[in-house]
Amino acid sequence: MTNTGFRKVLRRREFTVLGLIVLLVVLFSLTTERFMSVSNLSNLLLQLAGTAISAIGMTMVIITGGIDVSVGSTLGMASVVAGKLLVGGYSPFLVLLSALGTGLVIGLFNGTLIAFGNVPPIIVTLGMMSILRSLMYQLLGGRWISGIPPAIRVIGLGKWLGVPISMWITVVLIAFFTYFLSSRPLGRAIYAVGNNPEAARVSGIDLRRTTLFVYAILGALAGFAGLVYVARTGIVQTNTGSGFELEVIAAVVLGGTSILGGRGTIIGSLLGAFLVGIIKNGMVLLNVPALSEGLVVGVLIILSVMIDVIRARGERS
Amino acid sequence: MEYILECRKIFKSFGGVQALRGVDFTLRSGEVHALVGENGAGKSTLIKIISGALLPDRGDIFYMGQPVRIDSPRKAQEIGISTVYQEPLVYSELSVLENIFLGREIRTPWGNIDWKREEEQARSLFASLGLPHHFLREPMGELSVGLQQLVLIAKALVYEAKVIIFDEPTAILTEHETERLFTIIRKLRDQGVGIIYISHRLEEIFRIADRVTVMRDGEVRGEFPITAVDRAKIVELMAGKLLVEEIARRGVKGDHPLLSVQGLTRRPRFFDISFDLFPGEILGFFGLVGSGRTDVAQTIFGLFRPESGKVFFDGREVSFGSPEEAMQAGIAYLPEDRKVQGLFPIQSVAYNISVAILRELVRRLGIVDVRKERDIAEKHIRELNIKTPNLKTRVYSLSGGNQQKVVLAKWLSVTPKLLILDEPTRGIDVASKSEIHNLIAHLADQGLAIMVISSELPEILKMSDRVIVMHEGRITGVFEGPEKTAENIIRAATGERMAVTGGVGV
Amino acid sequence: MKRVLDYIVENRVLFLLVLFVALFVVFAVSVPGFFTFYNLTNMTQYGVELGLLALAEMLVILSGGGGIDLSVGSMLTIVAMIIGVLIGRVGLNPSLSILLGLFAGAGMGYLNGVLVSYTGILPFIVTLASLYIYKSLALIIAVDPRFGPNPMPVSNFPESFYFVGQYRIAGIPFQVLCIFIPVILLLWLLLEKSIFGRYLYGVGSNEKAALFSGINVCRVRVTVYTLSGILSALSGWIITSRIASARPDIGTGYELQAITIAVLGGVSIKGGEGSIGGVVLGIAIITLLYNGMQLAGIHQIWQLGSLGVVLVGSVLLNQVLLARRKI
Repeated sequence: MTNTGFRKVLRRREFTVLGLIVLLVVLFSLTTERFMSVSNLSNLLLQLAGTAISAIGMTMVIITGGIDVSVGSTLGMASVVAGKLLVGGYSPFLVLLSALGTGLVIGLFNGTLIAFGNVPPIIVTLGMMSILRSLMYQLLGGRWISGIPPAIRVIGLGKWLGVPISMWITVVLIAFFTYFLSSRPLGRAIYAVGNNPEAARVSGIDLRRTTLFVYAILGALAGFAGLVYVARTGIVQTNTGSGFELEVIAAVVLGGTSILGGRGTIIGSLLGAFLVGIIKNGMVLLNVPALSEGLVVGVLIILSVMIDVIRARGERS
Repeated sequence: MEYILECRKIFKSFGGVQALRGVDFTLRSGEVHALVGENGAGKSTLIKIISGALLPDRGDIFYMGQPVRIDSPRKAQEIGISTVYQEPLVYSELSVLENIFLGREIRTPWGNIDWKREEEQARSLFASLGLPHHFLREPMGELSVGLQQLVLIAKALVYEAKVIIFDEPTAILTEHETERLFTIIRKLRDQGVGIIYISHRLEEIFRIADRVTVMRDGEVRGEFPITAVDRAKIVELMAGKLLVEEIARRGVKGDHPLLSVQGLTRRPRFFDISFDLFPGEILGFFGLVGSGRTDVAQTIFGLFRPESGKVFFDGREVSFGSPEEAMQAGIAYLPEDRKVQGLFPIQSVAYNISVAILRELVRRLGIVDVRKERDIAEKHIRELNIKTPNLKTRVYSLSGGNQQKVVLAKWLSVTPKLLILDEPTRGIDVASKSEIHNLIAHLADQGLAIMVISSELPEILKMSDRVIVMHEGRITGVFEGPEKTAENIIRAATGERMAVTGGVGV
Repeated sequence: MKRVLDYIVENRVLFLLVLFVALFVVFAVSVPGFFTFYNLTNMTQYGVELGLLALAEMLVILSGGGGIDLSVGSMLTIVAMIIGVLIGRVGLNPSLSILLGLFAGAGMGYLNGVLVSYTGILPFIVTLASLYIYKSLALIIAVDPRFGPNPMPVSNFPESFYFVGQYRIAGIPFQVLCIFIPVILLLWLLLEKSIFGRYLYGVGSNEKAALFSGINVCRVRVTVYTLSGILSALSGWIITSRIASARPDIGTGYELQAITIAVLGGVSIKGGEGSIGGVVLGIAIITLLYNGMQLAGIHQIWQLGSLGVVLVGSVLLNQVLLARRKI
């Protein structure tokens, strides 16, 4: 990273999250012996991958000051496309391209309406969320997809050196995008746009292109997450991906990205994803009803955002 | 080529108001050319045209001998004209280095940002200007405003600026930072950069400039090498020979002050403000940018709490916690920026007029008496001569002058005892201006106490019984009667502490 | 053409009226079973439930500052469960239970309003979080420990409870006549005639000017979010009465529909603009659309999709038209 001063400030937040994670790990290992088992931990990582991958894209979107609540539906849509093609016997490579492509197209659509149509992100993505649900239902014909050929399932379930392949992929993606955000002009432009759009425009940054870019990338990443999902679970249902957006937003926000834009790191979002994942995992193991998930995550989001706002106010005065 | 920048016969108007009338301006390389004039003289309009934020209606601009059309701030930057604004335009979360290079990054062969080379270039730039450079990686938001400004200068140099415009740069700087800034400006000048320096602080002009141009009312009143002119001459040109219309007033004044302000302080905006205001009196507040008049007014109106000092209204000591409270007591405040703060653009004329007194128009159950509302609106439309197709017209479609009358009507319907007007005729055509002036006088004759904050000297001279002049948060002069002259006022406004005549307050 | 567009902007209500009539005629002519007394009155029943939510959104969006309420559906659900559990499992007096449910709705709305006004968190974040919190709470409440760990619907209501949702007076559904229409009238009075309505429009069109004019901006906003909670609670009660069951999955996706109707009805997403007449027509149009689609055999899932299109389309239209207006 290049901004030592910047890092100094952010480190506090990232380390807080890391500290929380360590605390929870200790807590859970003490209260239930199933937590620290290899099978549980690798299960945890397997489930995390999709959230973490999408969180990469969501981080960039939120840094620019936007939001995308359609990621769940995008993931679902891509799963449907991937599922159908896989069952139809098409080559995995084609399937990969299709999943990515589906997500990319959706993201481009969102981005265009937001950047060029001036429609607020919450509205565009809210509408897109339901349009996609309808389309998904139509494509599925009301049924599930099952019978995914075993070859592809390696992506979702396979491991290398004990760590799930999907997690390795996640790490690679994270490394790439972290590099991108810190060393490429377009990456820095994303921060600039979120920080001070007026100044950005005067500096000659193309706001529209930057906005379009972040939504498109998020779409593509969500598409990939959809493929991983199909590979992992082996089925596609009509409500696949429903509620996923909350997890992703929670991960990003908890990881230190400010909902007001201009600040945030991908590593932080990864930690946020871990935090959410561990909490959910712990809750299951402790027999806390799954129903409370929304409650916990919702409260965490509010607390996290409040911290942001309080901090912003503190800085201003 | 003699001049690096040359503006010929620039004309610019907004609505019906002529901001620039045939202005000529030139700049050489390696010179500091100061631009002075009171608010509204046209300085900022000229600068906006040069920096690409506005296009002139008529006139030509020549840059490096060639005619140019500067149609955007980006274009200006690209050809080498950079502006350092009073309020720095920065990315507070990003590092200093990034703030300098964003949009023009130095890249490695791979296409990455070459932080090393950027840092090197920045270091050498800063060094050549005699500046420290240890903070390059710090977030911009953590620097003092003075330092941020210097960073922006460095940014201008990265863009290879040949012309740098400084717009009231020292308004936010400390003594020490100002010194540092001047050293840098001199260095830049010696390196051949042409500098346009706008300031109302005449002492500074004499320290730093080579030439000075004085503007007034959209025209150039004089242009001299700095050695050929003195402060008095500049003041005279700024103030001008004014044909001040007299306004017929009964000059009614009550015995006891309606408003008495004592030692009011709110750092860093204003210090130790004391004055009295009597019913039937029009008290003018004059001052240049940053003098703090609006802050004083808004504090009296309850938008802010002062740090220290007392306010007495209608015989009692008061401390308003909100505009609501001030309104209940009988104070009305017409804000500076009517569009943003005074009007509801998409709502109707009737709505805008009655919104402040809705409480009094209420029948049972909180229902508004529409007929009463209409009557009041119609009454004001008549009295203020507001030109509108009908009551339901949305206010955004009215002219500036009529919009201002609507805001005035809103506050008049509150039947206040004290009316504070902040730049009441800014951006309004001459005919409406006159009307509003008569209105104000009429109101004062009826017993209202009125505070008029204005940056237009003729207006202040015409309207006010007394004039209080502020400079950087303090009262530098109070003038009444024969001392109420343009020259005295300008001198006080530019920082000279004048002997005060008339009552400043206990 | 420019004049026509200007006219449409200024007369959104007229445009919607025309649209409504046109749709009505099209369906009456081409969809069998549409133009019957039974069907039309049936339709109004559904319209009430969504309509109350749409009115809630209208109030919230009008208040400006990014005002939106994503939690209306969840508040509906949780109130339905509260009422169901209180009556069906706890055995509390039905009237008291309903009152408690409405009170809960007001409380939740109030909480939203406070968070929005006093912490400065963006409304869509606050209400997004409360959406999930309340949904989760609803599921938790729905768990009947006697029957295992899963959320269960409640259906053992006394006969008197179904009065509101299923009874008819002269063929017109009770909830339309005695709840929906009075609510509309009350809101109309509130918005168009009362001082609060004026304040609301002021806050929405220019928050700063409202402050400068002595309006208590925070109080106005807290009030509309509270009202939103009450309206959602009303809707929850009515639905439960109509389907004779308190189900924990009932309100899902309703917020999107409510927002769409409000925006379609002319409420500007920026705040300060929109009339109740337009929103009522919007309710009518969407209800008509759903009903017509259903009778024509189009699957229910398409309702959601077409709604998404309508939402984005109408905001886009608004933005385009707004850009032409010089403020």
